[in-house]
Formats: sequence, structure tokens, C-alpha cells
Amino acid sequence: MTVTVHAEWTKMRTVPSTAWALLVLVVATVGVGSWAAWGIDPFYCPLPRPDCDVDTARTTLAGVIVGQVGVVLLAVLMVTPEFSTGMLRTTLAAVPNRLRVVTAKVGALTAAVLVAAALAVSGSMAAGRVVLPGHGFTPANGYPPLSLADEPTRRAYVGSVLYLGLVALLSFGVSLAVRHTGAAIATVIGLLYVVPIVSAVVNDPRWAEWMQKLSPMTAGLAVQATKRMDALPIGPWAGLGVLAAWATGALLVGTVLFAVRDA
Amino acid sequence: MTTPTMERPTAALPARDGFGPAVRAEWTKLRSVRSTAIMVFLAMALTVLLSMLAAYGSSTNAGSGPTYVDRFHFVHRPMSGDGSITVRVASQANSHESARAGIMIKSSVEQGTPYAAIMVTPGHGARMQSGFKPDVAGSPNGAPRWLRLTRTGSSVTGYESADGATWTPVATVQVALPSTAQAGLFVASPGKFRVVHYRNGSSTSGHDETVGRAVFDDVDVRTAAAPVPGQWSDQDVGTGPPPEMIPPGFTRSVPGTASESNGVFTVTGSGDIGSLPPGGNDDVVMNGLAGVYFGLIALMVLGVLFATSEFRTGLVRTTLTVVPRRAHVLAGKALVVGTVGLAAGLIGSVGAFFVVQPIQRSHGYVAPAYPPPSLTDPTVLRAVAGTAVVLALLAVFGLAVGTIVRRTAGALIVVLPLVLVPALISDALAPSTSAWLRRLVPTAGLAIQQTRDRWDTAIGPWQGLGVLAAYTAGALAMAFWLLRRRDA
Repeated sequence: MTVTVHAEWTKMRTVPSTAWALLVLVVATVGVGSWAAWGIDPFYCPLPRPDCDVDTARTTLAGVIVGQVGVVLLAVLMVTPEFSTGMLRTTLAAVPNRLRVVTAKVGALTAAVLVAAALAVSGSMAAGRVVLPGHGFTPANGYPPLSLADEPTRRAYVGSVLYLGLVALLSFGVSLAVRHTGAAIATVIGLLYVVPIVSAVVNDPRWAEWMQKLSPMTAGLAVQATKRMDALPIGPWAGLGVLAAWATGALLVGTVLFAVRDA
Repeated sequence: MTTPTMERPTAALPARDGFGPAVRAEWTKLRSVRSTAIMVFLAMALTVLLSMLAAYGSSTNAGSGPTYVDRFHFVHRPMSGDGSITVRVASQANSHESARAGIMIKSSVEQGTPYAAIMVTPGHGARMQSGFKPDVAGSPNGAPRWLRLTRTGSSVTGYESADGATWTPVATVQVALPSTAQAGLFVASPGKFRVVHYRNGSSTSGHDETVGRAVFDDVDVRTAAAPVPGQWSDQDVGTGPPPEMIPPGFTRSVPGTASESNGVFTVTGSGDIGSLPPGGNDDVVMNGLAGVYFGLIALMVLGVLFATSEFRTGLVRTTLTVVPRRAHVLAGKALVVGTVGLAAGLIGSVGAFFVVQPIQRSHGYVAPAYPPPSLTDPTVLRAVAGTAVVLALLAVFGLAVGTIVRRTAGALIVVLPLVLVPALISDALAPSTSAWLRRLVPTAGLAIQQTRDRWDTAIGPWQGLGVLAAYTAGALAMAFWLLRRRDA
């Protein structure tokens, strides 16, 4: 097994797209997160004001919405090029046990994504700690510096790392099922982004709530909330659970299809 | 043994160097791969289906509420038969540009009863109004101003004057008044609309109550040249929104007041008089096309793959051997994929437009607040046909980015977030930042779907389409430059 994981790791680190994907993850997450923290407009939320409680932790994590495309890219490119180039036949000649191939790929992918995600999320928090006090989010106004010692804040940051890991698994499962780079990327990005866009038009609260509860991205990102928890469509961990269910489902379908189809 | 011989072609090959054959070749390549049919089908089907889903999830109760607003502070006394009321509005606070201070003859102090009123406003001069119909504009002058209403039977004439000596009629209106009506002074001031954006992406809109204040002197109520005796009384006509209906952080309503000393009246009040704009402000045409976000994914993937698959398989070398003019190749591809995008987009958007209408009607989107949209309305036609143009441009944009990047994954990871992410994170940004973001991204083109002016409008329809066209043209220019410069 170690040999198989090592083989997958070698394949992964020797293609330039891996570095690009991880770079997208880190730079987009930190960059957009800092920009969002920078852009909090005190005019709309004069401080201190209890009815306009700014969720600063969540704002600094806004970049995850963009950074996750790096994760999608990395996960898809671990699978689909093997189909299109025929590399998969070599892989399966070396390791005939297909479940073992999937496990090794998932292991290498998850490890790489979790490490990069931890880096990206820490960067977002560091950026928030630098930017926010300059915009009036000071302890005097009721905004202590972002810290992992605070339980909801820790949940938001650790949860975001787990969110990115689950997005990797979801993308991986979809790629195994559709076997085509373009189709896999479009499917995953469609699944992640379009439900939130359409649910923004839906004004019936019950419909909107159900769509948000079932959407892998909106539900999954509920884990980032540290304030106004009553406004969430779903609880933080339950929301991450929804994404985990999507990821598990995709992984199961993908693995079964991979096991029964010809390479 | 026979020696294989090569015959020299006796006739020259048919000329391939032209734009027509290039377009034809590209069309053959596009239509003969299976993924084209899948993507085009998905673009149309998802546009319609997701639009239906959005329509099923939206409803309105516009049209069931009152069609007028009748709320103000009224200082009044009974007036029997024909007569007139004259007053000088000495001053008026600028609580709102449409705050009203003036005089009124009204059937009773009940909300919604017939009336005739003449008034001044801080921002729109003198106005006359009756029957909750739009104001008749008088002079552009505000307070101080003399105002007079004269009742003769069922007709009431309003006058205004700068000095109380020379009077100018503003309008004569017919009002169903009882023999004894209420005549007096009134003050109203409408709320100010405001939207609060919360950091979790949600927003609340509401009105901050404003309080109008005016000072009146030289008040004179008379019938047949005789002053009307009697006591003044004052009260709020109509009530403000109940406190539980006002979102937190918005100014609440306070009752109006009136005081008098030596014939000088000081009156405060909130509210407005007139017709309510019909119903809500939902853009039903735009909302009915919400599924286009799925359609555009499929068409952008189509555009990207049309470029990148040639690079991946090496087909591009064959293409360039047959059609060495690289401009012809790229232009042919753009023309073909743009036409396919336009056709698919047109079927999707027209289909969605007709399919969602019964759903929207059954969810409360009915006249008069929401008259049924028709394709003969130029604004609606612009939205529906413009959606197809947006999809065509995005398909060409995908093609151009695919030609620049030359890798499917790389191109998709650029174009898909570029069009989708702004719609998601704009809610998480400050409103001014978000408006700029929505002006500067390719999806600004979707502004062509707007059929109503709304508070969240970031860019005009044609300007938005222009932004998208500029992106597409820029990407095509760069793609052409790179295609010429690089080896295939």
C-alpha cells in the first residue's frame, strides 16, 4: 500500500498542474479573504452596533469560495488525464487491485489538499488579524483578535480546512464517474456554485432554506459561521455533514463505476 | 512485379484558401463530436429546468394589499356646504423631498375617504391631489407659500399665491364630498428606503420613518364670506407600520402633533398620500431566466473544448495544414461556436420565458402589480433575445480562453469561476465594492436581462453587454495573437 501511495504521490508531484492548483488554492483563499476583510464598509455597519454583528471570522474566510477551484483542479487532474492518455492501463498493470488504486489516490490527494488548505486558511486568519483592527474591529468595539482559542472561531477555521478536503473527495468521485476533464470540472463547479446562485432568486423562504440545506457548498460553508447562528439554514457541523454525504456518495458511485468498467 | 506509381494530380486541388471552407470545416468538426450535442442539449434543458425551479420557489403577495396610502396628521374642523380654506405655509422642514404640508377638504377623518388637497413640498414645489391619483404640479415654489381650496358643490379648486393677493389656480377636481366635510391643515412625510447588508450575505430592506414639520399662519376657513366658527381638533389619519414589522435598526413611527398659539399652527406628522406603486419590484423576466447560469456553463465548456481538444489530440496541426490562414481558423471557429451558442441560447431563453409564466402567475405574479410580460414589449424582447446573445458571447469567450490556455482543465478553471464567483461573493462584499465587481466581470452582460430599475442594479443593460463584448473581443484578439505566434 505504501508503495502505491508513493507511486500516486510521485505522479502527482511531477506534473506542473499540481503546483498550479495548490497555488490557486492558497493565493485565491488568502487574497480574496483579505480583500473581503478590507472591504467591510463601516457605513453599513457602524460600530459598535449590536444589530449589525459582523462575522469577521467568516469574512476572512470568504476566499475559500474561490480557492476551492484549486482543489477541484487538483482532484480532477489526478483522475481524468489517466483516462485520456491511457496512463491508467499502466497504473492498473502495476497495481491490478482497483480499490487499492483509488485508496492510494485518495490518500495522496487528501494529504496534499489538507496541508495546502491549512496553509491557506492560516494565511486568511493572519491577514484578518492584520487588516481588521485598522477598520475599527478592535477589542474596544467588541472584536477581540481572531484566535483559535475561541471555540466558534476554531470551528470556522478548522471546519474550512475540512471543507476543502471534502471538496477534494467530491471532485475525485465525480471525476472517476465521468472520466472526462471538461465534464468533471463543469459538473463539480456547477454543483458547487449554481445552487447558491439559483437559490438567491428563490424568495419563498422554505424553498430557499431547503435548497441551501441540500447544496454542498452553502450547507458546507455553514461551518464558517461564528455569529448570527440563528440566520443559518443549517447548523455548522450538520452543514459540513451534508457536504460529507455528497462527497461519500460521489466517491462510492465513482469507485463502483471504476471497478466495473474497462479502463 | 509491378512498380507502384504515383500519378501526378492532373488538376489542381479545389482552392481551400478561403473563409467559407474554413467555416464549413469547423462546423463539420463541431457537429460530428458527441459532446457537442450533449452540451447544447444540456444548455437548453438546464436553462429551462432551473428557471422553472426558481419560479416554483418564488411567490409574491403583491396585489392583495391596498393600492393607496393615506396617512398624515390632520388639524381639522367641520365645513358645511360650499366654502373655502386659505392658509400661509410659513415654513416647512426638509424631512424628505416629497414631504407634504398644506390644506385639505376631506369627507371624514377615516382612511381612504374622498379628499382634495393642495400642498407644498421641499423638493417638488406646490402640488394638488385628489382621489389617490398622481399629483398635479403647481409652481416649483415651496414654503413660504399661500394656498387656498374652494369648494363649490362637488368641485374643488386649488390656488396658490406668493403674497396672498394674486392667486393662480392650480387645478379643479371633482370630489364626492358630503354636505359637511372636514377642512384643515395636514402634514405628512414619507419614509426613506434603505437596505442593510449583513456580513453573512443576507440583507434587509425597510423604510426609516421621517417626521415632517410645518408652521402655518393666517388660517382662514369661511363659507359664503362668513368665517366658520368652531373648535379645531387634530389626529393622525391612518397608522404607521406596527413596530414588529419594522426591521431592527430602522427608525420607528411616532404620532403626529399639533399646537396653536395666536393663530400660528405648528404641525408634525409622518406618512404620505397617493397611489402605491403597483406591488413589489421583482424583475419577473430576469428571475424567470435564472436557469441561464447552468446553460452558460454548458456553452462555455463547449467553447473551451472546441479549442482545447484540437490541441490535446494534435488535430490543430491538420487544421492548420489545410487552412494555413490562422485568422480564418479562429474566426471560423468563433463564428460556428457563436452561432450554435446563439441558437441554443435562444431556444433555452424563449423556452424558459414561456414555461415559467404559468408558474409565476400561479405564485401571485399577476396584474396589476405584475402585468404578464410579452415578447412584443421591447424591454422584454431585449431581455430574452439578449440572453441568447450573452450565451453566444460566452461560448466565444470560452473558445478564446481555450485557445490561449490550450488545456481543458486550465481554461475551465479560469472561465467558470470568472463568470460564477462574482455572483456568489458579491453578497459577502460591501455594497459599493460588490457593485463595482458586478460591473467589471464578464457576467455584467447578464444585465441585459433587466426589465426593471431596482436598487441593486449595478450597470445598464447595454453597457453590461458591452462589458462582456469587450471581454470576448479582448480574449479573441489575444487568442489570435498567440495562435499566430506559437507553434501548434
